[in-house]
Amino acid sequence: MQLAYTEQQQAFRAEVREWLAANVPPAPLLTLECEEGYHQHVGWERQLASGNWGMVTWPETYGGRGLDLIEWLIFEEEYWGAGAPLRVNQNGIFLLGPTIMEYGTPEQKARFLTPMAAGEVIWAQAWSEPGAGSDMAAIKTTAYRDGDHYVINGQKTWSSRASFADWGFGLFRTEEGSQRHKGLSFILFDLDTPGITRRPIRQLHGHPGFAELFFDDVRVPVDNRLAGEGEGWSVAMATAGFERGLMLRSPGRFQAAARRLVELFRQHEAAAAPSAREAVMRAWMDAQAYAYNTYAVAAKIMAGGKIGAEASLNKIFWSELDRAMHRTAMQLLGAAAELRALADGSINEWLEGYMFSLSGPIYAGSNEIQRNITAERLLGLPRVGAG
Amino acid sequence: MDMLIAPERLELAEAVRDYLAGTHGPEVLRRLDAGPNRDPALWQGLVEMGLTGLLVPEAHGGLGMGLLDAALIARECGRVCLAEPLVESAFVATPWLIAQGQTGDLAAVVAGEHRPLAAHGINGWVADGEGEPLASIDPLRRLAALHEAPSDDPLLLDLGALMSAAQLVGLAEAMLDQAVEYAKIRTQFGQPVGAFQAIKHKLADVAVALEFARPVLWRAAQALDDRAASASLHVSHAKVVATDAAYLAAESAIQVHGAMGYTYEVDLHFWMKRAWALGGAWGSRASHLARIDTAVIGAAHPIGPENTFA
Repeated sequence: MQLAYTEQQQAFRAEVREWLAANVPPAPLLTLECEEGYHQHVGWERQLASGNWGMVTWPETYGGRGLDLIEWLIFEEEYWGAGAPLRVNQNGIFLLGPTIMEYGTPEQKARFLTPMAAGEVIWAQAWSEPGAGSDMAAIKTTAYRDGDHYVINGQKTWSSRASFADWGFGLFRTEEGSQRHKGLSFILFDLDTPGITRRPIRQLHGHPGFAELFFDDVRVPVDNRLAGEGEGWSVAMATAGFERGLMLRSPGRFQAAARRLVELFRQHEAAAAPSAREAVMRAWMDAQAYAYNTYAVAAKIMAGGKIGAEASLNKIFWSELDRAMHRTAMQLLGAAAELRALADGSINEWLEGYMFSLSGPIYAGSNEIQRNITAERLLGLPRVGAG
Repeated sequence: MDMLIAPERLELAEAVRDYLAGTHGPEVLRRLDAGPNRDPALWQGLVEMGLTGLLVPEAHGGLGMGLLDAALIARECGRVCLAEPLVESAFVATPWLIAQGQTGDLAAVVAGEHRPLAAHGINGWVADGEGEPLASIDPLRRLAALHEAPSDDPLLLDLGALMSAAQLVGLAEAMLDQAVEYAKIRTQFGQPVGAFQAIKHKLADVAVALEFARPVLWRAAQALDDRAASASLHVSHAKVVATDAAYLAAESAIQVHGAMGYTYEVDLHFWMKRAWALGGAWGSRASHLARIDTAVIGAAHPIGPENTFA
C-alpha cells in the first residue's frame, strides 16, 4: 500500500485540471433530461472528445488515451471537482462500450466504439419491459430471423436517454418458445429505424428522461447482434456488472457532492438539527470509503483480478449514500427545499439531485435484488424459494 | 498510488488466522470463562509465532513490520475473540514505547516475558493490567483500574483506536459468519430461515457495512504508519465505521439467532460483548466524531474528490 501518487500521476492530474479549467462551461447546462439540455450536453461530449477526454481508458485506436484505471480515477476526481456536466453518453461509454470491447467483433468495435468516444452517437439502454423490470428474464419482445435481418416486435420501457438518443441496445428473444434466460440475444439498433415509435415518459422532475419504445416489424441487420445468438443473457450480465461495479459511478461525483453538502451545512449551521451534523460527516466518510474501495478494486483489476458479486455491495452503497446525502441537504434547506430555483436564481440542484437519487436504489437492478445476490452468492444463503 | 494490500502481508495474516483457528476455538473461550481466565500456553503460542515482536525493530530481535500488518493481525484476533491481551500490548503499548525511545526492555517484550500496557486518559482502565480489578461485561477482558496517571499522548490514542477498529472489523466478520451458518441450518415454516428475504437483507446490510469499513481501516493504518498529518482523522473514521459495523453485526446476528442468541449457550455472546467493550474503548464514537467534525466541517482538512488521499 502506497498512499502517494507518482510524479507521472501528478503530472497527468495537472494536465486534466488545466484542460477542464479552460473548457468546463462557466454556467451549469440545462438538465440533460429535456431536449434543449440534451443537445447542450451532446455539445459538451463533442468538446470533451475534441480534447481526447471522451473515454480516457479506451485504446487510442478508438479515440481513447489508453490510460489505466488509477489514471481514470484521477481524471474523474478532477472532472467532478471542476463541476463539469453529467455525461449524457454514460450508457454508451460506461456500459455498452466495455461490453463491445469484450464481446464485439473487430468490425463491431470499429463501427461502434469510435463514434461513441467521439460523442457522435448517443446511446439509450433498452432493458426493461412492462412485465420485465427486476425480473429481466421475463423479457417477451421478439427478434426472429428473416434472412440476414432480425424482425423485432414488442415493447421496451424505462429506456434511459431514449427520448432523444441515436441508438439503443437491449435483450430480445430470438428463439421462438424459449423461456427465461435462454434464447435471448443482445442486439443494437438505430432508434430511427422504421417501425420504432418512441413515447417519452415524464419523470418525477417533469422532464422526459426516459421513453417507452414500441417495435412493429422493425428490421435490424444480424450484424448488429453482439456475441452469439441466444448468448444475450451472459452478455447482459457482464454489462450489468459494469453498471453496478466500477465504471458507472466513480467516487469523484459523490465526493464533490459531499463537499457541497459540507458547504451547505456551514451556511445553515445555526438552524441545523444535531442529527444533520452527523449526517454531513457521514456523507464525507461514506464518499471517502467508496473512493478507497474503488481504488482497491481498480488495482485488483489492473493486477488481473475480476469484480464478481461484490459489485452488488458497491451498487447498494453508492445509491443509498447518494439518497442520504441529498435528503440531508433537503432538510438543511428547510422551507427553501421546495423551490425549484434558489434565491440567487440558480437551479435548486439539491432538489433535482434528491429526485434523481430516489431512482438509484431502483435502476441497475433494484437494491432488493442486489441484497439477494449478496446474500446468496457472497454469503452462501439458500436461494429465494429454494424450500 | 496503490490501495492494494501486498500478497505477502495477507499471507502472514492468513498464517495467523490458520493458527488461531486451530488453537483458539469457542471451546477455549468457554473453558477460560469457566476457569481461571488464563492459559499461559496460549500466550506462549502467540510469542512463538513472533507476534509479540511484530512491531519491534529487527535490531531488537523483532520482525520490524508495520501498523498495516498489525491491523491485519488485530482483525484476526477480533475474529476469534482472542482471550489474551496481544493487541493492547504488542500493537498499542509496544509501538508507543518504541516511538518514545523506550527500547530497553524490548528483548523481554519479544520473548513474551514482559507485557507492556499503556492507558490513555480517555480510558480510566486497561485490559489485563495490574491494579484494582474491574468487572467488565466481557468475561475475558480482565479489566484493571490504574494506579498511575495515564498518558495524554495523541499517538497512543491513535494506536489504541486503530487497533480497536481492526479488532471490531474481525469481530463483526465473525458474527456475520456465525449468523450465516445459523441461518442455513435453522429451519422454520419448512425451510432454512436464511431463505427468507427479511433475513437475507439484514445480513446483506452487514456485508455492505464491512465491505466499506475495511478499506477505511487499511487506509488509516497506513496513514498512521506513515505518521501522515491527517492520520488522526483517518483513525477516527476507521473507529467510527468499525464500531458501527460491529454493532450492526451484533444486533443482526442476535436477531437471526432468535431466542437462542439471547442465551449463554451459543457462542455469539462472547463476540458481542467484546464488540461493546471495544466500541467505547480508546475514545467513544462521539469523541471520534468530534475529531472528524474539526477536520471536515471545521475545514482543518482539505476535502473533495481531488483530495482523496490528502
